[in-house]
Amino acid sequence: MNLPSVSSSHKTNEVAVSVRGLGLTYTTAIDRRPTLKARVKSLGRGGKQTRVIRALDEVNLDVEYGQVLGIIGTNGAGKSSLMRVISGILPPTQGRIEVYGSVSTLLALGVGFNPSMSGRDNVYLGGLAAGMSRDEIDNHFEEIAEFSELGEAIDAPMRTYSSGMYARLAFSVSATVRPDILIVDEALSTGDARFKEKSLNRIKELRSDDRALILVSHAMATLEDVCNDVAWLHKGKLVQRGDPKTVITAYREFLQVGKSAAIDEDV
Amino acid sequence: MSTPTQVYEPFRAGLPPLRKYWKSLWSRRTFISEYSRSELREQHFDSVFGQLWLVLNPLLLSAVYFLLIVIISGSSDSTRYAHLTATLFLFYLVANSLTGGVKSITAGQRLILNTAFPRIMLPVSAVVIAIFKFLPTLAVFLAIRTVLGLPFAWEMFWAIPVLLITMLLALGLAVTISCINVYFRDIASFLPYMTRTLLYLSPILYEASDLKPELRTLELFNPLFPILDSWSRALVHGQAPLTSHLLISLGWAVGIFLIGTYFFLSREREFAVRL
Repeated sequence: MNLPSVSSSHKTNEVAVSVRGLGLTYTTAIDRRPTLKARVKSLGRGGKQTRVIRALDEVNLDVEYGQVLGIIGTNGAGKSSLMRVISGILPPTQGRIEVYGSVSTLLALGVGFNPSMSGRDNVYLGGLAAGMSRDEIDNHFEEIAEFSELGEAIDAPMRTYSSGMYARLAFSVSATVRPDILIVDEALSTGDARFKEKSLNRIKELRSDDRALILVSHAMATLEDVCNDVAWLHKGKLVQRGDPKTVITAYREFLQVGKSAAIDEDV
Repeated sequence: MSTPTQVYEPFRAGLPPLRKYWKSLWSRRTFISEYSRSELREQHFDSVFGQLWLVLNPLLLSAVYFLLIVIISGSSDSTRYAHLTATLFLFYLVANSLTGGVKSITAGQRLILNTAFPRIMLPVSAVVIAIFKFLPTLAVFLAIRTVLGLPFAWEMFWAIPVLLITMLLALGLAVTISCINVYFRDIASFLPYMTRTLLYLSPILYEASDLKPELRTLELFNPLFPILDSWSRALVHGQAPLTSHLLISLGWAVGIFLIGTYFFLSREREFAVRL
């Protein structure tokens, strides 16, 4: 949990994350916004209030140090759920997850939870919630602000941010704090072309033998470029895992889209 | 192979390991102070006019209610005014904890969905914010008290344990209501009616001793009743509070805190899928 990697260097091919027989089911409210009023109104009818969602089913997955693992799959395949289980946000329903090393408990999107506060406050609050100390954030803050290229906007309330600015700040946070196991969930897919390029380069810099990277993305070309391993999830199950080219080709055939510009372009 | 740093397994119903939870919460205490500070700054309470408003708002409120008392009862005196301000300010500590607490979990959605941390930090921060808003009003009350010429007495220090009990009660209420709001999002819209009812049921616009004997059962159902009466006795009248009132309010506060926290802790692991 302790974010910054505390020198306990991990050797290549040592297991970083081990996922065994992972199942995740949850009941969720059918109403997007469950209310007492709706509950009382439906009392006599005995209708179901919740439905059960099977987000992950018997997933076995090992991530080793030195690996850059790309996770692909259609919307709702369980990619984000898997990331949340690995970072300890969602408890699994079945199975066991072992994490060897510090994992970024702050997924990028957690930044900016309070839109009326400034970018700066949000970075601090997100970091503190993830268990970092003030000093650690102080040390990283300059780098985060600089990388995000937000300039003076860093002190403006986040509700004034465009979605691109938002994504830039989010990515900067996850790419600046350097845990042993870094999870980047979709944060690559926004921002202008130049920033995409820049973040792609940063990801490449972060590849190292004593770090495990897990990238969730729909940008096939990027994954093919950066990853040395790709896992394909579909409806909560692990379909295929292995060499990026092979898995991505299989996934493309499955989608029947071929190597079209639409999925490549989106870095 | 080395031992894993973290192991995640299915959890059984009930409480998470409390010692670990507490450790994790304690290591994040800076979050709570930082969060309250940012929130207050965002509401401009760090500026002169913001501070002034913080004090002016309850003062205007107490002036309005005092007007009401004078009109309804036909007469009034300075003790009555002191009682009104003292109890009203303390009441607002609890009311602000409730209004801040109710949405603390649902508003923290992004953070909850993307970060692992003890969720109880959010309602706790809401209560800390309410306490920061309360402290200046306490100073204002002491000034008012001096202006009104109420005598000082050592018994006034009984207000300290009463305040601590109130904070515990406010914390328990905020934790409970923040959790309920995850399951019933319209609780937030009922809240103003609930606090308003609580205001009228509490000895604020009247003194506990003015209450008709047949209405005295009211105080059995209102945790704020013994608290506000003890507060007024200590701070306004300079008397020691009734022991029974102190014990009853402590019982309420501890009870609500324990039940609310149990409810919250046993549920919080599923908040992420409920938001």
